[in-house]
Amino acid sequence: MNGDRSTRRLLAWYPPSWRARYGEELAALILDMTDGRQLSWRLRADIAAAGTRERLRGVGDARGGGRLVLWAWAIFIIAGAIVAKTSEHWQTTLPVGGHWIAAAAFPALTVLAIATALLVLAGIALTIPSLIAFLQTGGWPKIRAWILAAAALSTALVAATVAIVAWAHGLTHAARNGHDALYATAFLIWAALAAITLLAWTKAATTTANRLSLTPTTLHLHARLAPAIALAMTLMTTATMMVWVAVAVAAPASIRPPAGTAPSVPSDTPQAFAILAAAGLMTFATALAGVGARRADSV
Amino acid sequence: MNDPTILILTSLSSGERHGYALLQDIERFAGVRLGPGTLYGAIGRLEQRGMIEPVGDSGRRRPYRLTAAGSLELESSLAQMRTIVDEGTARLGHRPAPATMRTTEALA
Repeated sequence: MNGDRSTRRLLAWYPPSWRARYGEELAALILDMTDGRQLSWRLRADIAAAGTRERLRGVGDARGGGRLVLWAWAIFIIAGAIVAKTSEHWQTTLPVGGHWIAAAAFPALTVLAIATALLVLAGIALTIPSLIAFLQTGGWPKIRAWILAAAALSTALVAATVAIVAWAHGLTHAARNGHDALYATAFLIWAALAAITLLAWTKAATTTANRLSLTPTTLHLHARLAPAIALAMTLMTTATMMVWVAVAVAAPASIRPPAGTAPSVPSDTPQAFAILAAAGLMTFATALAGVGARRADSV
Repeated sequence: MNDPTILILTSLSSGERHGYALLQDIERFAGVRLGPGTLYGAIGRLEQRGMIEPVGDSGRRRPYRLTAAGSLELESSLAQMRTIVDEGTARLGHRPAPATMRTTEALA
């Protein structure tokens, strides 16, 4: 099995997504060609050149593009959760009638988020026939590790959610919103667990998708969905920025309370940090979705 | 004429084949020995463009077959090649042989 090991080393020239789809077949072909003998320099050079070409072509093209868009959406959801959490305070501190931009942008953001989630679900639903065929032909062991890891994290998240909700019920509004340091720390750990669980499911989904035989029709439909998702993320990022700018103008105290006044949130530092973190994540995710959409369109 | 994609489409036009069978068939009818990386690079491109498709859903020696789009592409490419071959043959037929050309130049 020495030849098998050196073949696997040779396949490292290819990008992971390409290897996941064609690696086993190419390894079998090399085995057939060499019949267990040492690999020739000519064969090694051919693989190295072809693998480099695939890397330059860009992460398995359409398949890799769809994967990037899915990662971008997962990161965007994390940013969206931060926006939703921080918006709880802003909406109560805004003066009535003095924030029409925020009043228009926030519902638009919600509608766009629901529409984008439906587009992502449609993209996932398109792969179900291929997934069923993959599982029926013994594919489960190849994806088991990531699925089980994500399921274990989900179980831990459900337990943590039940615990933190029960805890929150016994606290005052102020304690729930940062005045109880122990609860605030537990909430941050819960939020981190939720983010890690989401990322684990995304990894499980992309690893599975890489191993599926997707039909050209599915790839073409993914190539149409990807730019729509990227555009929706651009609009949502813009709408979020508009909300923040409007809030900063109409109710600056909600972001940075004036000195000597009781803030509506415990401190301006976590609020400002949350805004910066969400803005950074949203911008990064939107850019990632743009790159993914461009690659997905290379079918 | 050594474009691996045309060679693969031609090979698959007579039935489904896996990687090794494709290499052997191509070497037999075209005298071209493709490398495994070159072959699978072309297979990947053809599959993405919907010209070929795998038979079955998994397996290390998975055969491929031509799709309807692949048949059309092959017919179109062969027609183009035929036009070039006919034109080249016709032009060669009207050109003086190299020896005759040299004689004509010497007389001038």
